[in-house]
Amino acid sequence: MKIYIFIIFLVVSGLFVTSCNESPYMQGKYLYDSLCQNCHMPDGSGLEQVIPAISESTVLGSAAMVCIIKNGIQDTIIRNNGQLIREMPSYSQLSVTEVTNIINYINHRWDKNFRETTILEVQEALKLCD
Amino acid sequence: MLYRLSVFIYFLFFLSCGQNSGELPYLGNAIIQDGKKIYHTIGPINHYDQDSVLMTNTDFENHIQVADFFFTSCPSICPKVMKEMYKIYEAVSDDQQIKLVSFTIDPKRDTPETLKIYADNLGINHDKWLFLSGDKEETFELANSYFVSALEDPEAPGGFDHSGKIILVDKKGHIRSFTEGTDPSTTDQFIKDIKKLSDSYKNQSQ
Repeated sequence: MKIYIFIIFLVVSGLFVTSCNESPYMQGKYLYDSLCQNCHMPDGSGLEQVIPAISESTVLGSAAMVCIIKNGIQDTIIRNNGQLIREMPSYSQLSVTEVTNIINYINHRWDKNFRETTILEVQEALKLCD
Repeated sequence: MLYRLSVFIYFLFFLSCGQNSGELPYLGNAIIQDGKKIYHTIGPINHYDQDSVLMTNTDFENHIQVADFFFTSCPSICPKVMKEMYKIYEAVSDDQQIKLVSFTIDPKRDTPETLKIYADNLGINHDKWLFLSGDKEETFELANSYFVSALEDPEAPGGFDHSGKIILVDKKGHIRSFTEGTDPSTTDQFIKDIKKLSDSYKNQSQ
């Protein structure tokens, strides 16, 4: 009997702990807060056409995210409206696990068709980056 | 008990009103010259805007300035400060007395052409929000007169060290309020200050 009460206690306290963390990707959140949100803003809204909004990005959920994070964007890119955007710095110092965690945090937060990206997928995608 | 509480709340209102009423203070050290008090004034503006038009202090005589110092390739605090500047731009877009002014501290890279692209990407009205570039050292000195620290520092992200203050300057070049552009929670109060200063001119002209 005592053991049942203990198990219920564990489950309930486990629920409390997980409900406090809004994202299941805590390392990803930490990395986003320290590396990305300065420019892309805490809510992912970016800055008009100067800094792209992550929350509305067309690369969400795609393998292209891996190379953008790892290599940055050196050249100015041209958007639909024909206006120029400046470069994004590269984050080549990040490990495969860290890149995976950032991608999962971002996709979990903003991609409506969220599907978890695996470390293996990131490894494969990295091989295809320049 | 309830009575005491209501008296207390009444006093809270009284205190908060005391802070908000009256005119905005003149910031910085004032000097007395010929018996007249002269308030701290911003330094000389001698800068080109994003459309390569030379702007000087006299071009701002009929306008209130909301100013910041930044550079377009800044990887640290600038985007956040710009976001707050944009919020202010939207809040005061109908007020003809107010101009927003962003000085670049990296004129070598931020030419008027670069600043024009930046302004176009922000999608702002070029008459309302000026992106100014000029001599680098003069801009550093000008920043000091706005109580903003700006200097070249190879150790700092992007090569420049500067503070993210947004400054409110009246038509005579006196500094009347400021906010930390890196702290979005203070922007609403700053917008109230801007409107208060603008209203003070509207009352004068009546």
